Amino acid sequence: MKAHRQKKLTIILFVAAGLTVSVGLILFAMSQNINLFYTPTQVAEGEVTIGQQIRIGGMVKEGSVVSANDSLQVRFETTDFIHAVPIEYEGILPDLFREGQGIVAEGTVDAAGVFHASRVLAKHDENYMSQEVKAALDAAGVNTETHPSLVAPES
Amino acid sequence: MFESIQFSSFGDFVEMGGYAFNVWSVYALFLLFFFINLYFPILKRKQIMREQKRRLLVNREKVSIDSKLSNNEMDKNDS
Amino acid sequence: MWLWFSKLGSPKWFYELSGKWLPWLAAGMSLLLIVGIIWALLFVPPDYQQGDTIRIMYVHVPFASISLAFFPLMAVAGTITLVWRMKLADMVAKTAAPLGAWFTALALASGSIWGSDIWGTWWIWDGRLTSMLLQFFLLVGVISLRSALEDADAAAKACALLSIVGCINVFVIKYSVDWWNTLHQPSGSFSLSDEAPNPPEVWVPLVIMIVAVYLFFVVSLILSTRNEILERERRSQWVQELIGAN
Repeated sequence: MKAHRQKKLTIILFVAAGLTVSVGLILFAMSQNINLFYTPTQVAEGEVTIGQQIRIGGMVKEGSVVSANDSLQVRFETTDFIHAVPIEYEGILPDLFREGQGIVAEGTVDAAGVFHASRVLAKHDENYMSQEVKAALDAAGVNTETHPSLVAPES
Repeated sequence: MFESIQFSSFGDFVEMGGYAFNVWSVYALFLLFFFINLYFPILKRKQIMREQKRRLLVNREKVSIDSKLSNNEMDKNDS
Repeated sequence: MWLWFSKLGSPKWFYELSGKWLPWLAAGMSLLLIVGIIWALLFVPPDYQQGDTIRIMYVHVPFASISLAFFPLMAVAGTITLVWRMKLADMVAKTAAPLGAWFTALALASGSIWGSDIWGTWWIWDGRLTSMLLQFFLLVGVISLRSALEDADAAAKACALLSIVGCINVFVIKYSVDWWNTLHQPSGSFSLSDEAPNPPEVWVPLVIMIVAVYLFFVVSLILSTRNEILERERRSQWVQELIGAN
């Protein structure tokens, strides 16, 4: 390789490496803001200001869903298997909403620690199975319930 | 092979378990994009070919006219 | 090695070779695409959670994964342009940008339609979706940069630099679902077992569709690059002969 070409290539590699490192550092510093939601543990431990608009992500706790007969009002708990946060919501739930499903809710926490959601979204995992296989595995008592990543990456 | 088709009737197939809009709009977008992305480069190739051929012919004519002109001039010079 | 390298850079050589490959690539693409679409629409079992919307995955995942290849491709081509000033590399980089924007747009659109019912929202500003949207705007940026600069040589250099920088975003897209918590699910792993998540009945048609869409990407790229060659090399002897013979 000719000398001037080698020089050019070195400059390009240095610029690319420098930019990668700086972008990496910026993203690392901002990672809490990039995270889409708080975990129930973070909310229970008081990391969130009361009344502040936030998102919370967790599993719908088994047996916790209570829906009103005459309205779209629903109450359930969301959990990351360490702490559970009660959620109140009135509105249409996504098709995938059910007990044991991962969800992300938008809203505010009140002084009593209850989350008032203005919107509930379903978070599904990356595992796909046919209905028959799922039924067969459930009948055999195999635990197939895989949980979408709930724990905030350490940062 | 046909036993493993997931739909019992054509109507079921169109309905897509209640997600007809979502499934069919994604496949429609896909096919539209697919044909557009093959059609336009082929169309462009034809245009380029036509354009270049025209240019080539114009150039040839020019060359032949030029040479005729110079021939005529030579004739004049001769006479 | 260097001889091969410079030969590869010759537009004429590429034009002739790609002309020989095109019919085979197009035949393979059509075959796999027909098999893949029929399989995905008719034979894939509905998902236990998502029902028939799983069929959207067979369009969304190929386009999303292949759209990540554009910036690395343009960066490699750009580096070759900057260092070795190879004409062919810049032609490939130029034709790849709009194609990449289309692929990214289709990945975003299909994902949005999928999410509208399954997540309960068309759009959310999570790490994966936002970085993918950024890639779309970066590609639009590369395209407008090229058309904004009149000097073709300066435009090629500027686009090459932007493409190299844009590669960083590819890592952000790829690892966004692992670094941060997002609404978008992480990439699934394939399993050979019939009784595990993602068994062959789910992923074999997906692999067919990915290869088919990859071939589609290669075929479209070759078609547009050949057009670019004909335009840029129109004064050369071999293009004139080619057009004359046609």
